[in-house]
Amino acid sequence: MKPAAFCPDLLEEACNEAQILAKPQGAWELYPYDAKTHIVDFFPPFHIKGEKIQHHLQDARQVAVLAVTIGAAIETSVHTYFKAGRYAYSLLLDAAGTAAVEAAADALNDVIDREARLRGYRTTWRFSPGYGDWDVRVQKKILRLAQAERIQLSATESYMLIPRKSITALIGFIPHPLSAPARVSHCAVCEQQNCLARKETEE
Amino acid sequence: MITIFDGAMGTMLQKAGLPPGDCPEAWNLQHRAAITKIHRTYIEHGAQIIETNTFGANRIKLSHYHRERQVDAINAAAVQAARAAAGPSIRIAGSVGPTGKFIAPLGDLGFDLACDVFEEQIRALDCAGVDMILIETIIDIQEMRAALRAAKKATAKPVICQMSFGDDGRTITGTDPQTAAVVLEAMGADIIGVNCSLGPAQLLPVVEQLAAAARCPISAQPNAGMPKLIGGETVFPMQAAEFGQWAPRLAAAGAAYIGGCCGTTPAHIAAAAQAVKGVAVRTRDVPMPILTLTSRTGSVAIPAGAAPVLIGERINPTGRKKLAADIKEGNFSSVKKEALAQIKAGAHILDVNMGVAGIDQTAAMQKAVEELSLLVAAPLSIDTSDARALEAALKAYPGRALINSVSAEPERLRDFLPLAKQYGAAILCLPLSEKGVPETAEERAELIQTIMDAAYAAGLRRQDFLLDGLVMTAATTSGAETLRALRLYRKRFGCPATMGLSNISYGLPGRPLINSTFLALSLASGLDAPILNPYDPAMRDTLAAAAAIMGHDKNGRRYSLQYGGAAAEPAPPANGDLLEQIRHTVVNGEKEAVAPLIRQALAEGRAPMELTDGALTAAMNEIGAAFSAGRCFLPQVLLAAETMREAFLTIKEVLPAQAGHTIGKVVLATVKGDIHDLGKNIVAALMENNGFQVIDLGKDVSADAIVEAVLSEQADIVGLCALMTTTMPQIDRTVALLKKSGCTAKTIVGGAVVTAEYAAQAGADRYAADGVNAVQIAKELL
Repeated sequence: MKPAAFCPDLLEEACNEAQILAKPQGAWELYPYDAKTHIVDFFPPFHIKGEKIQHHLQDARQVAVLAVTIGAAIETSVHTYFKAGRYAYSLLLDAAGTAAVEAAADALNDVIDREARLRGYRTTWRFSPGYGDWDVRVQKKILRLAQAERIQLSATESYMLIPRKSITALIGFIPHPLSAPARVSHCAVCEQQNCLARKETEE
Repeated sequence: MITIFDGAMGTMLQKAGLPPGDCPEAWNLQHRAAITKIHRTYIEHGAQIIETNTFGANRIKLSHYHRERQVDAINAAAVQAARAAAGPSIRIAGSVGPTGKFIAPLGDLGFDLACDVFEEQIRALDCAGVDMILIETIIDIQEMRAALRAAKKATAKPVICQMSFGDDGRTITGTDPQTAAVVLEAMGADIIGVNCSLGPAQLLPVVEQLAAAARCPISAQPNAGMPKLIGGETVFPMQAAEFGQWAPRLAAAGAAYIGGCCGTTPAHIAAAAQAVKGVAVRTRDVPMPILTLTSRTGSVAIPAGAAPVLIGERINPTGRKKLAADIKEGNFSSVKKEALAQIKAGAHILDVNMGVAGIDQTAAMQKAVEELSLLVAAPLSIDTSDARALEAALKAYPGRALINSVSAEPERLRDFLPLAKQYGAAILCLPLSEKGVPETAEERAELIQTIMDAAYAAGLRRQDFLLDGLVMTAATTSGAETLRALRLYRKRFGCPATMGLSNISYGLPGRPLINSTFLALSLASGLDAPILNPYDPAMRDTLAAAAAIMGHDKNGRRYSLQYGGAAAEPAPPANGDLLEQIRHTVVNGEKEAVAPLIRQALAEGRAPMELTDGALTAAMNEIGAAFSAGRCFLPQVLLAAETMREAFLTIKEVLPAQAGHTIGKVVLATVKGDIHDLGKNIVAALMENNGFQVIDLGKDVSADAIVEAVLSEQADIVGLCALMTTTMPQIDRTVALLKKSGCTAKTIVGGAVVTAEYAAQAGADRYAADGVNAVQIAKELL
């Protein structure tokens, strides 16, 4: 059989609508970090637990804690379209929303990278709660560290971000002569063996 | 000769004993002699322009040290400290750095407030007697626009605008050197340059691009290489001798002013000064005065006589109820859709008109410009007759806009021309006066001359003009005069020409034919930037043909590709078995095609069961198998499901009594605490379109609620999903509670983090990896 072509018009429509609906916002703060004790200098001190993230930050002297969101408009639209029977389109719009929030995080990441460079640091790639063995239950603390209330970002009791198309993460500042870990596939340090992203990127 | 700036202030202050964390600018008050000494050292090492110690002396930055009320005192003291070091041949540049905040809508600092903050500092520097203002290390064009606007308001002294670029050649908010040069020169920058962020090697290409795009002198103040952190200190590795070697190369790239930024010392400046001693400023090929508009991230040039540049006219609520209603409600989605669609259709510039009766046009214009400037890279044309709305738009626009339009009416000249000058906008010159519409080409040219004279008097330049031929309907006035006006403009002024074409056919039948014919005639007469509806097929055809004829499309290559009669897509089999056709339609996800086929089949007396089993289910099985084998992807499966849904709805519509046949009842839910539901919705849609009756309980559903629903609905199957490790344990709870309740329904579980092992351990009957798999398993379980 020959299934339908990969709906380029639908894809473009979804990308356009995502751009129209996305309202990217970000917040970030920089804190001193002690890689020996894994403690971020905050009040109260924030202890980073998890081997992978501790390893990720082993040479970091400071950490940038960031939060980005593109708002709730895309999720609302996805829901409305699905209800109206536009299944494929709502799936693509949802995916475009995910891409948009990643792009927003990349943009904020660029700002942070620049700040780091000016101070003589290199940056690690961003590590989010739930990656590897970093417990997603730190989410609320991370939001406080990033002062994410400024962008109206919060978490549910089960640690999901609201609005859902949002990202929190941590970026380590590493003194320049030490080489930062190369940008590797996030999957390489992650233990979620059954994740879709892994399945798709490893194929 | 090359002029030499000084080097870093911060490093010198630290050497002089400034403790980390202290306010560097406060030293102007507390340790003025130390500041003077630093200046003197730089002068002794060859600096001809010294920069005041006022980089962070704006009230936003000073507020971090609770010194926001000392702006005047700190800046005045800094200038005095510099003056005390400077002999008669040394000039003093008042340093103005960023506020550290982004301008709205990227950040929360309003444009007006930013202007005010900069103006306060620049006035203080000006009053204290600096020779020039140096706005430096700015990473966002909008902040630079605010600072430059403030500088031009506060002082008549020269203003140097230096931005910081990243190693991708753009500022952090995406502006390239060419765009920055066009925007800042139009706003009156006297020198444009670059400093900080990068070392001289990385700045070289940026200097080259600035020099190619700007007509004014260029400055460059690199860091001493890229910094490293050694022993807890930020160290810039490039030594003075190496830094000096770069100076002649920067000069050769076009820099007339060279200095140093972070990490540079008197020794670096001495090396640079020595290396360019006797080196003349490079004679540059000054760019032609070509009208160029920009957005935040790119430029569009409109040279007279080149390939036409299209101005899309569709962001205009006149005569469009839906668009007008949306704008009135403050909903700019349709405006943004028009923007994207016009660009896709070939528009290079977008005209923005917010002429809706009964709204605050100023607010609407500002919002439209903010939203569009975040969305598209095409420059905007601000279409308004309201000076307040125009100013709001020009403030909000992080680029160089076109003002549509400036007529020869005295009021318009008085109100609009100063705004064009202040915000660096170009103007569309419309030959209308208070006396009405000029008939002849000569009269129109005279009015254009009137506008241009007034514009030159207001400080505008030759590259700021786009001339309108003035289109009247051919039903009452001959279009020949307009064509003659275009030719006359070209001869007399040499500036590019524009006009809105569709007026020509007003009141005539067959408007597309008139419009496209007039477009062709106008292009031949010197129209450079038609304002048109870019979706209009007749216009697009004419533009394509004209490009081939006029040589803008070399040898008609693009034209040939587009109109060369590519082989038509083979049509799907129109004959053949109807069931086969329906199956084919579903597999291909041709939603619109399926309903007529279903109607036809039912009319021919086929039973709904026959259609379901023989075509629809077969199709879903087929696409399901293709998905499982990796031959197609989820969107295609969902398109097929949408087509199935359409087919079922059609059967229901034609034979309502036949609906309601189901193969089993499924209760679906996303478990408590979890609010992801797209995946679960997809499973529901696929189940429904495979003949199951689905009771979807939604997301964040408690175990109790699920058990209650399963029992009361007497469901055959329960589908549970969880997307996160934190919510997955709710699956265990729910499955246990179901068992305890004595319910006999089979359980299927799934969701991103759920695995087969987990499902087994939770006591579920089956694990489903995806929606297609869930349908197969549900069928097996029945």
